[in-house]
Amino acid sequence: MAGGVADYAAISARVRAKYADLLTPQQILQLSEAPDFQSLFNSLKSTAYEPYLDGLKDKDINPRRVVIQIKKKLADSYYSVIQMSPVQTRPLVKQLYRYFEIGNLKAILRAIVTVSTWNTETGLWDRVRDVLFPLGSNSVLPAQAMVESGSVAAAVDLLHGTPYEEALSFAMKRYSAEQNLFPIEVALDLSYWRRLWSEAQKLTGSDREHSVRIVGSLLDMNNLMWAIRYRVYHKLSEEEVINYTLPFGYRVKDADIRAIAAGADIASVITRIYPGIPDLNALLENPQSGLPKLEVLLKQRIMKECLAAFLGSPFHIGIPLAFLVMSDFEVQDLIVLIEAKSSELPEDEYRPFLLKANLVAEP
Amino acid sequence: MLFPEAMTELELIVPSKDLLAVTKVLGNHGVFHQIDSTYLGLENLGPSTWQEKAASYSALERRIQVIMQNLNLEEKYSGTSNFDSIADLEPLQAAVDRIEAEVKQTSDQLAAEKKTLEQLESQLHQLEPLADTNVDVGALRKSHYLHSVLGIIPADSVNRLQTSLARVPHVFFTLREDPKKPVVWVLGPRSNSDIIDRAVKSAYLNPLTLPEEFDGTPAQIKESISKAIDASKKKISELNTTLAKLADTYKNELNNLLWDVHVSRMIADAIARFGQLRHTYVVVGWVPSAELDALTQRLKQASREILIEATPVEPTGHRSNVPVELRNPGFLGPFELLVNTYARPRYEEIDPTALIAVTFPLLYGAMFGDVGHGLVLAAIGWFLSKRSSLGGLLVACGLSGTLFGFIYGSVFGFEEVLPHLIQPSENILQILSMAIGAGIVLLNVAILLNLYNAFRAKDWGRFFFDSNGLAGWILYLSFLVILGNVASKIFTGESFLPGILLTIGRIGIVVTIAQILFFIGMCLAVIFSHPLQHWMHDGHFVVEGGWGIFAVQSAAEVLEKIISMLSNTLSYVRVGAFAIVHAGFTGAVFIIAKLVSGGEEAGFGYWTAVVLGNLFVIGLEGFIVTIQTMRLHYYEFFSKFFQGGGLPYEPLALASAQKK
Repeated sequence: MAGGVADYAAISARVRAKYADLLTPQQILQLSEAPDFQSLFNSLKSTAYEPYLDGLKDKDINPRRVVIQIKKKLADSYYSVIQMSPVQTRPLVKQLYRYFEIGNLKAILRAIVTVSTWNTETGLWDRVRDVLFPLGSNSVLPAQAMVESGSVAAAVDLLHGTPYEEALSFAMKRYSAEQNLFPIEVALDLSYWRRLWSEAQKLTGSDREHSVRIVGSLLDMNNLMWAIRYRVYHKLSEEEVINYTLPFGYRVKDADIRAIAAGADIASVITRIYPGIPDLNALLENPQSGLPKLEVLLKQRIMKECLAAFLGSPFHIGIPLAFLVMSDFEVQDLIVLIEAKSSELPEDEYRPFLLKANLVAEP
Repeated sequence: MLFPEAMTELELIVPSKDLLAVTKVLGNHGVFHQIDSTYLGLENLGPSTWQEKAASYSALERRIQVIMQNLNLEEKYSGTSNFDSIADLEPLQAAVDRIEAEVKQTSDQLAAEKKTLEQLESQLHQLEPLADTNVDVGALRKSHYLHSVLGIIPADSVNRLQTSLARVPHVFFTLREDPKKPVVWVLGPRSNSDIIDRAVKSAYLNPLTLPEEFDGTPAQIKESISKAIDASKKKISELNTTLAKLADTYKNELNNLLWDVHVSRMIADAIARFGQLRHTYVVVGWVPSAELDALTQRLKQASREILIEATPVEPTGHRSNVPVELRNPGFLGPFELLVNTYARPRYEEIDPTALIAVTFPLLYGAMFGDVGHGLVLAAIGWFLSKRSSLGGLLVACGLSGTLFGFIYGSVFGFEEVLPHLIQPSENILQILSMAIGAGIVLLNVAILLNLYNAFRAKDWGRFFFDSNGLAGWILYLSFLVILGNVASKIFTGESFLPGILLTIGRIGIVVTIAQILFFIGMCLAVIFSHPLQHWMHDGHFVVEGGWGIFAVQSAAEVLEKIISMLSNTLSYVRVGAFAIVHAGFTGAVFIIAKLVSGGEEAGFGYWTAVVLGNLFVIGLEGFIVTIQTMRLHYYEFFSKFFQGGGLPYEPLALASAQKK
C-alpha cells in the first residue's frame, strides 16, 4: 500500500487536475447547440482546448485542422500519463497509446493502396498526414518514408525492428496472395489487443484488477463488434470468425464469441452479456444503422466502468487509464460535432452518436 | 541560456523569378524553420509542378539508395555542385537507368539465389522434426482420403486454430516448438478440406510446401536438399564478386548522383510547401530573432522585390506552435540531453538545463563522494566524451564526487589519508538531515520556478491554485513548520531532520500561523484547486460529478497531498543514505581483502581484492547513483514546474546533408 501511495501520489493529483478539464455532458450538449461550425469553434475556445486552438490563424480554421489540434490535447494527455505512471504500469499505458499508431499504420497502408484513384493535385504525404493522429516523435512509424515508398510491401519493409514486424510478417504473405488489406488490418488488431491484454495480466493487485476491468471492457466491445460484423457483413465462416477474434475479455467470454460464430441468435448472446440494452432486436434488424448505435451503447458502458475507477482507493493505474479512455471518447464526441456542424447535419442525425450527451439522457 | 531562443515569425512574398535564389538562401543559411503554407496559395492555379518534381526526385533518390545498398556502398552526402538552378531530372534519370540496369541484373540474380537458399534451408529446417519419421512424404501428399496442411503459424494463433477446428474431426501436431513461429501439421478428412483450408488461412498459417522434386523419406530428402544448398552458396559467392567489381566502377558516380538528386529534392520539397499565388510565392516560417537581420539581408540580396514581414513572438501565454531551440553552451550538451529525454521545454517555459548542470553533479557527488572513485569516473567520462555526449556528464559527476571525496576525506575507501570535514559513516544523522535540507531547498526552488512559468504563460489559475502554485507553496511551507513541530515532540535529541525545522517547530506562534495557513492552503491548492482553476480560466466554478463525489475525492486528495509532501521531502534522504552506503561498501571491500590475505593488510591477495573491490563499487554504485539522481530530478524536481511538449526547431538546411 505504501508503495502504491508513493507511486500514485503525483500522477493521481495530476490526472485529477486533468480530469477536471474534461468536458461535462452539459458542456457537450451546449456545444451541440452551436448553430454552425464557426460558433462551435468559438465555444470550444472557452474550454480546456483553448491553448490548442488559440494558435490557429483565421485561415486555418477548418474542420480538418481543428480536429488535428483537438487530437493534440489527447496526445499530450497520453504523454504526461506515460511520463508519470509508475514504472511497472508504463508498458500497459504505452501499449494503450499504440492504438493510435495502429490507426495511423492502417491509414498509411490504405493511402498507398488507393493512391492510384486519387487526384494528384496535392502530394500524397500532405494528404495522408492530415488524417494521422499527431503522435509526433512518439511514433515508431517512418510515416513519410512509408507513404513515399509507393507499395505496401516496401512500406512494410520499413517497419523492420518495430513491434509490428512480427504480426506483419505473416499477414504480408496473405496480402501478397490476395492483394487485400483485410488480413493485415486484422493481424494488427489481434496483435495489438493480445499485447495490451498481456500487459494488463502482468500487473498485480489493484493495478491488475482495474486495468483488466478497463482494458477488458474495451476489448469486449471490439471483440463483440468484430464477431458480429464478420458474420453479418463479411459473411465469414465459423472457423474464420473464431480465428479473427480473441478468446479473452472482461465480460465477453470465448463461449459467447464462439456462439456468435456458430450462428447463434446475436441478440440473445448480447442480452446474456449485457442485460438491459434496450431495443436490441430493432438495432440488429438493420445492421447498417443499428451496429454503430450498438457500439455507442457499449462505449457508454465502458464510460461507466471508467467513472467507477475514480471511486474508492485512488492508488492504482485504473484512474489514469480511465481518464485516457474518457479523453479519447471526448475527442470522438467532438469529432462527431465538428463533422456534423461543418456538414450542417440535422440534430437527430448526429445526436445518437454523442457518447457523453446521451449518457445524461440514459436512465 | 535560461530560456529557449527568442523566435520571430517570418512571412515572405517572393516573386516567381527569384524563387530558387531565395530557397537557396533559406536552405544554405540553415536557420529557417519552414511551415507548410500551401493553404495560403490560390487553389485555382492547378496542380503544383513542384510537388511532382519533389516526388520524382524523391523516387530517384530512393532508387540510387537501393542501388548503393545492393552494391554495399555507404551513402555519402557530399558534392561540389553549386545549385544556382535545380538539377535537370532527365540526365540524372538516364544515368540512374544505365547503372541500375547493369546492377539490377546481377542483384536480382543474387536476390533470387538467396531466396532459393533460404527456401532450401527452411525446407531443411522443416524436415528436422520429421527426420526420424519413416514415412514417404510423397505418398502422404498424394493421399485420396486425407487432407493435410503443414506450415509455420504465429505462436499466438495456435490455440485459436485448434478451437476453430473443434467441430471437425482432425489431428493436430506441433512438429517444432518455437516461442514465436512453431511448425504445425493439421490432418483431417479430405471431405472437410475446405473448412481446414479456411481455418489455417485465417489463423495466418504459412503453408510449407515440401518440394515436389524431392521424394522418399525425410532423411533422403534432407540429403538431396543439403547438396542443393552447397551449389546455391557457391553461386551466391560468384554473384557477390561481380557486384563488388560493379561497386568499384560506379562508386564515385553514384555518390555524385545521390548528392545532386538529394539537394534538388530538398529544394523542390521546400518550394512545394510554399503557397503559390499568380506571380509570387508565400513562404512562412520561424527564425531565431538573433539571426533575423543576417537572413533578411541575404534574402534582399537574393531578391530585390521580396517582401518580408517579421513578427517577433513574446514568450508569454501558450505558444505551442512556436518551435523551440535551446541554445546552451557546448559543455551543457549532456545536461540538455537529460532535459530533452524528459521533455522539450515549451517556448514560454524556463529551460532547466543550466539549473540541472549544477544540481545533477551536486547530488551525484554527494552520493558518490570519494576522491579516487570520482577521478576514475571522470577519467572514464573523458575517454567516452569523444564518442558520446554522456561522457561529459560522467566527467562533471566524477569531479563532483572528487570534491565531496575531499569533504568526506575518502580516497578509494581509505578514510585516514586525508583530513575531512564530515564522515558519512560517523555522522549518519547529520548527513541525513543535510540531505533532507537540500531536498527542501530544491523543492522550494521547483515551486518558485513553477510560479514563474505560470506567470510567463499568464496561466493565473495555475499560478494561484495549482498544487505547486502560490497556494501550494504556502501549503508546503506550513506543512514543513507542522512537520518540525511534530518532530520536535518526538525527537528530543539529535534527529535526521534539519535542526532549523525543529527549532521553528518549537515556536508556538509560528506553528499556530502555519496551522491556519495549512488549512487555507489545503482548501485552495487541493480541495478547491480544480474548480478555482476553472473559475480563473473561464469564469465558471464547476464541481465535477456533484458535491457527494467531490467530497469523497477531496478527502482522498487531501490524504494524497499530505503523503506526497512527506514522501517528496523525505525522498531526498536517499542522497545521505547513499553517501553512507558508499562508505559502507568500501568498508566491506577492506574486510573481504583482509579475509583473502589471511588477516594481513598487505600482500598480493590483499591489494588485488582492494583493487577489484573498488572497481566493483565504482561500477555498481556509479550505476545506482545515476538512477537515483535521475529519479530525484525527473520525479521530484521536474514534475513540479516543467510541463514540456515544445515543438522541435528543425531548420531547413541544405548543408545539413553534408553533416549526415
